[in-house]
Amino acid sequence: MTRIGNALRNDPHLRPLAILLGCIVLLAIADWGRGEVLRVATVVTTLETFGTIGLVALGLGLTMMIREFDISVVGMFSMAGCIAVLTGAHNPWLGLACAMAAGLVGGLVQGVIIVRLRLGSIGVTLGGLLVFAGVAYVVSENRTLPYDNLQVALAMGNRIAGIFSIRSVVALAIFVAAALVIGVTRIGRDMIATGNDRRAAMTAGVNVNALIVGIFGFSGMMAALSGAMLSFSLASASPSGLSDVIVPAAAAAILGGVSLAGGTGRPLGIALGVLTLGVIHAGLNAIGVPPYVDEVTMGAILLVVAIADGPYLMRRVRGIARARRQST
Amino acid sequence: MSTGSTNSSGTLAQGAPRRAAFVASARRRPIAAVRLVVLAGLAVLALTTPGFLSEPSILALLTTVSFIGCVAVGMTLITVSGNIMSFSLGALVGATAMIFIVSVNFGGVVFGFVAALAFGALANAAQGAVIGLVRANPIIVSIAATALITGVAEAFAEHGTIYVAAGTTYGVFRGKIGGLPVEFLVLLCAAAAGQFILTCTNFGRNVYMLGASFAAAEVVGIKTWRTVTGAYLWAGFFAAFAGILLAIRYDAASMSYGSGYEYDAVAAVLVGGTAIKGGEGSVLRTLVGAIVIAVVQSVLLLQGFRPEWQYLIAGIIVLAMVALQSPGMRE
Repeated sequence: MTRIGNALRNDPHLRPLAILLGCIVLLAIADWGRGEVLRVATVVTTLETFGTIGLVALGLGLTMMIREFDISVVGMFSMAGCIAVLTGAHNPWLGLACAMAAGLVGGLVQGVIIVRLRLGSIGVTLGGLLVFAGVAYVVSENRTLPYDNLQVALAMGNRIAGIFSIRSVVALAIFVAAALVIGVTRIGRDMIATGNDRRAAMTAGVNVNALIVGIFGFSGMMAALSGAMLSFSLASASPSGLSDVIVPAAAAAILGGVSLAGGTGRPLGIALGVLTLGVIHAGLNAIGVPPYVDEVTMGAILLVVAIADGPYLMRRVRGIARARRQST
Repeated sequence: MSTGSTNSSGTLAQGAPRRAAFVASARRRPIAAVRLVVLAGLAVLALTTPGFLSEPSILALLTTVSFIGCVAVGMTLITVSGNIMSFSLGALVGATAMIFIVSVNFGGVVFGFVAALAFGALANAAQGAVIGLVRANPIIVSIAATALITGVAEAFAEHGTIYVAAGTTYGVFRGKIGGLPVEFLVLLCAAAAGQFILTCTNFGRNVYMLGASFAAAEVVGIKTWRTVTGAYLWAGFFAAFAGILLAIRYDAASMSYGSGYEYDAVAAVLVGGTAIKGGEGSVLRTLVGAIVIAVVQSVLLLQGFRPEWQYLIAGIIVLAMVALQSPGMRE
């Protein structure tokens, strides 16, 4: 029993996997044999969610791994959508390239500001969020932009091998690449070292500044890529709807084993976290609950994982236990 | 209007020594100098913009400032206490407005006030308690709270707007007193109360200490979770005023009322010069920040810019203000 407990605590992938399986079992029980949850449609919806929030969660999760936090992904997501739709009217690749370039540059600039001016990432990325959202409002003139290239929208909706779409395949491929880079190369170890103890990492010869700038660039580019792909598949882009993506992305990263204290978490764990949220979303849809239940559930999950991640949690639990012992 | 007074003839006429001291201190602190130049430039720009000093323009400006200002006063407490910002205050404003309308329809205006203020304060205090007790990440908790508040509100109102019963009157809370919109007077009262709490009470001193150094505050025996909960409680209380004022103004309430207020509020806090890492700043600064942003937006509109530009300009100002808080800049 303790061995399982230790494994759950120490293995970066086991806990997210256990949570994912638990959610599937719970949803199957809630479904109660009607067969609405355990079917292909649920898998398809889950993978679509994966395509939407997966890469945002990956970028955000990697910044959390090095003990930073990139709030600007929210603004980047909508800005990239608007840019992609505006510049990609004739050539979707051009639109995608413009959006991703904007994401990369935006992320790199924020990273440079954080490193050079020695500022906290939340303040800088909050400014970044407002700037990106502002750009989205200005370029779209505060209206919903239609994307007239409907062939692209149709192509984005095509099923690949029955359950995948272009978006989910791209997201999965990038996750695999990120997992390989972090698991095999030095970059991964440098990131973990930086997240655990920045000064020690610096002393050990890690180029911490370059790493931070690079990760923020990556995070910006991933948010831009998912925003652009979502706009293509919806055939429209809008500057508003800021908070729709940050709740699941943050929840997925923390569910995936990334701690806000830094140094923990792996891309595959984040992928499992995203899948968990996707399964919950798809499962609740399949059971047929009203949409607000989905929102409340996401909020409740994020709140619970935030509490579970709280550094003083064990201290409070012990305090309560002590008080109870003394009273008896 | 208020920024206009900073470089009006009144300050220039006050003897040279005081001015020299001011300039010298500005030279020592580059941020203060930058701030002074920007304020002066903005004042000149505003005063030379045709139509800025017209009564409708000023009244519109004061009313807009009032709604966002109340939220910003609350946000100041959160920022100073070292918890950066709360994303949920915008949703809280919308929910408070709805609670207010429902309770006014149920039990009258006074009951509505009590219920709305209590809801705002307690809903936010609950977040503060979570953050204070287990030191959960304030950003994550507030994002989760936003989803929870929005979801629950949706369950009750189904995305709709709820209206006040016909024939309800709010007495003094509509119209003007002494030429100023009541909303602005409420904001001034809220700002005065917030400043009093921060500077004149033990609790306020604890908030500053907590923001400056959590470890130090704990070592000297402050019950940190109580201070955090208190800061969030007051933040919710002040933000609730914005919800009530909006509901009174429009005779209705919906979740869209407060949307985006959290960003406007934190922009006001940062533009006022309150440190984002906590432990430093004041409500009065936030008030100045809110007015500066509103003046910038008003000038932009009057100069013929499309309204979208105000979002971008506000974002750039916030980014610049954060950059100015760099430890390197202070040296």
